[in-house]
Amino acid sequence: MYRGREGQWAFYLHRISGLGILVFLMLHVANIASAMWGPEVSNALMKFYHQPVFQIGLLLLIAGVLYHGFNGLRIILMDFTAWGVRYQRQLWYGVWVLFVVFYLPFLLKIGGGILGGSHGD
Amino acid sequence: MAIKSKRYEEARLEASTNLELYWWVFMRISGVVLVFLLIGHMWMNAVITDLNSIDYEYVAKRLSQTTWKIYDLLILALGLLHGANGLRYVLDDWIRNPSRRFWTKVVLYSLIGFLFFLGSLSLFNHDFGVK
Repeated sequence: MYRGREGQWAFYLHRISGLGILVFLMLHVANIASAMWGPEVSNALMKFYHQPVFQIGLLLLIAGVLYHGFNGLRIILMDFTAWGVRYQRQLWYGVWVLFVVFYLPFLLKIGGGILGGSHGD
Repeated sequence: MAIKSKRYEEARLEASTNLELYWWVFMRISGVVLVFLLIGHMWMNAVITDLNSIDYEYVAKRLSQTTWKIYDLLILALGLLHGANGLRYVLDDWIRNPSRRFWTKVVLYSLIGFLFFLGSLSLFNHDFGVK
């Protein structure tokens, strides 16, 4: 169906990013829900997650969300237009263009925070 | 079985049940909505805001407004459903042993259901104490 190459990569990356996002979403909900146990518990958890290693994880997560989202739009175009499948490779490169444009602000802001040492207190 | 078709007409033919087709359609609709919701969510909390300043106070203020309660509930519900069904596709592909597949699903769906419960409780049933 995919004949290897770009389509195969698009598929695997979609899967891996999807699974990664689900794992994060579950941790994230648990983290935010900790607010129900009061500010002390909640703030301790948040401080824990403000460590640089988790910020790098967050940069990975955001990359995953942007790729999964834009590639998802590509899948929808392939599903519902007459030309989508024919141009699936070109569309995939389009996904990466969108990815770079949207990822840069996050990379600069969060990456700058990590390098600038503004984490925790 | 999960639908592998790349076109709606083919998907309709391939769908083993109506339910499977509804899931196929749901993944596309929720997907489009989530792209916008999530880019907005990440932009607001990671680009406009300094991520490291996020604490209980920040979350409490945000969740004291109905707009963000609903915004976050949409992400929670659509995200978990989209994720659970995506997970189902992956498990159907990767776990060959039927009983192991079944029990993996039982455990993971329960966990996802529990997190939906927990998340919606903190959105709607918790007094953050914001004056």
